[in-house]
Amino acid sequence: MNKFAIGCGGLVVIIIFVAIIAGLALMGTYNRLVKLQQGVDAQWAQVQNVYQRRADLIPNLVNTVQGAANFEKSTLTEITNARASVGRVQLDPNKAPTDAAQLEQFQAAQGQLSNALSRLLVVSERYPELRANQNFLGLQAQLEGTENRISVERNKFNEAVQSYNTAVMTFPTKLFAGMFGFSPRPFFNAQPGAERPPPVQFNFGSPAPATSPAGTP
Amino acid sequence: MKRIVLSLATLIAFVAIDSRAAEVIPPKPDRYFNDYADVVSKSAAQRFNEQLARFERETSNQVVVGVFPKMQSESDVADYGQRVAQAWGIGSKTQRNGVAVLIFIADRKMSVQVGYGLEGALPDVIAYDIRTNHITPHFRSGDYEGGLSEGIDLIFKAIRGEYKGDGATVREKETSRNRGIPSFFLFIIFVVVLIVISKTMRRRGGYGYSSRGGGPIFFPVGGGGWSSGGGGGFSGFSGGGGSFGGGGSSGSW
Repeated sequence: MNKFAIGCGGLVVIIIFVAIIAGLALMGTYNRLVKLQQGVDAQWAQVQNVYQRRADLIPNLVNTVQGAANFEKSTLTEITNARASVGRVQLDPNKAPTDAAQLEQFQAAQGQLSNALSRLLVVSERYPELRANQNFLGLQAQLEGTENRISVERNKFNEAVQSYNTAVMTFPTKLFAGMFGFSPRPFFNAQPGAERPPPVQFNFGSPAPATSPAGTP
Repeated sequence: MKRIVLSLATLIAFVAIDSRAAEVIPPKPDRYFNDYADVVSKSAAQRFNEQLARFERETSNQVVVGVFPKMQSESDVADYGQRVAQAWGIGSKTQRNGVAVLIFIADRKMSVQVGYGLEGALPDVIAYDIRTNHITPHFRSGDYEGGLSEGIDLIFKAIRGEYKGDGATVREKETSRNRGIPSFFLFIIFVVVLIVISKTMRRRGGYGYSSRGGGPIFFPVGGGGWSSGGGGGFSGFSGGGGSFGGGGSSGSW
C-alpha cells in the first residue's frame, strides 16, 4: 500500500516533469516560428521598398526621355500604364502575402513594368541626344542599381521564406504549427528575362555596344 | 581554435560547391588589397593595402579590393559581386559600412559593391561615375594601378565622414582580444601551415595564388606566400559581418 503510494507519487512527479519539458519545448518552437515569420515580414518590407524605389524613379525618367526630340510615344505610354497597374496591386508592406495568387499578381505587374523599362532603355539607344544627357545617364545608373537591389532583396526574401517554410512543414513542428496559425508562405518564382533587364543595355560607356540585349544569359 | 575549424569547414564547403555548381565564391581574403591576377606591382599592392587599412582605422569603413584572373560564375557580374561582398562580410555588422571593388581581368568586368550603410554617401550615380569615368579609362589602356589608385581615392572621398573610426581595424581588435592560449595555438598551426605551404611551393615553384596550372586554387591562409617575400608585415583584414543589398555599379570595360 505504502509502496503503491510512493509509486503513484513518483509517477505524478515524472508526468509533471515531462509536461514541463514538453511545455518548454513547445514554447521554444513557438518563439522560433514567430521569429522566422517576423524575418519573412521584415524581408518583405525590404522587397516592397526596392520596388517602390524603382516606381519612384519612373516619373523622372519619363520626363527626361520626353525631352528628347520625337521620342517614341508608345514606349512612354506603356511605361506609364505599367506603373499604374503596379500601383493597383497594393499589398500590405508590413506583412508578407499568405496567398500565392496575390504574390503572383504582384509579380506579374512588376514583371510588366520591368519589360516596359527594358524596352525603353533599348529604344533610348537610338537617340544620341539621350546618350549624351547627364541626367539620363544618372537615371540609368540609378535604375541599374535598383534592379540589382530588387534581385538581391527578392533572393533574401525567398531565403527567409524557405527557412520559415522548412520549419513549419517539418516534423514535429508541423504537428502544432497549424494549430497556432502558422502556414507556409509563397515565394517569388524565377522569371528569367522578365524580372531583370539584360545588363548589357547599361554598358554604353564601353566602345562597342554590339551585343544584342536578348543574348545575355 | 574555433576559427580554424571554421575555416577548414568553409574550405570543405567551397570544394563541395565547386564540384556541384559552376560558381565559386573566393574565400575571405587576408588583406584589404588582394591582387590574385598579378596586374599590380608588389610595392603598389603593399601601398594600397596600408592605405585601405589606415582608412578603416580612421573611419571604420572597410574598403576591400579583389583583383581576380577571371570570374568563377555564370551569373551577371553585379549579382556575383554582391554575393562575394556579402560572403566576405566587409563592413561592420551594425553600420554595414563596407565597399568591395572586384575586378575580373579576363572577363574585362568589374563591380563596385556598396554596403547598405554607405548607399547614402556613395549612391549608384557616384559609383557609376567613379567606375566609368575614372577607373575603366585607365583599365582600357592596361593601367590597372592608375585606375585602382584613382578609384580608391574617389571612394574614400565619397564615404569619408559618414562614420567615425576608433583607431583600430577589426583585425587589430580581434588579435588584442585573442591574447593567451588560443593565439599560441593559432601560432603553432600557422607555423605548420607555413611549412606545408612552403614545401608545396618549392615543388610547384610558384607564389601563393596560382591559377595558371589547372583549376583555380585559393589558399584560405593567404598570408603565407606573400609576407615571407615582402619583408615587413602587412595590415591584415577581417570582415565585420557587413551586408550588401546590390547598391553600387557594375559593368565591363
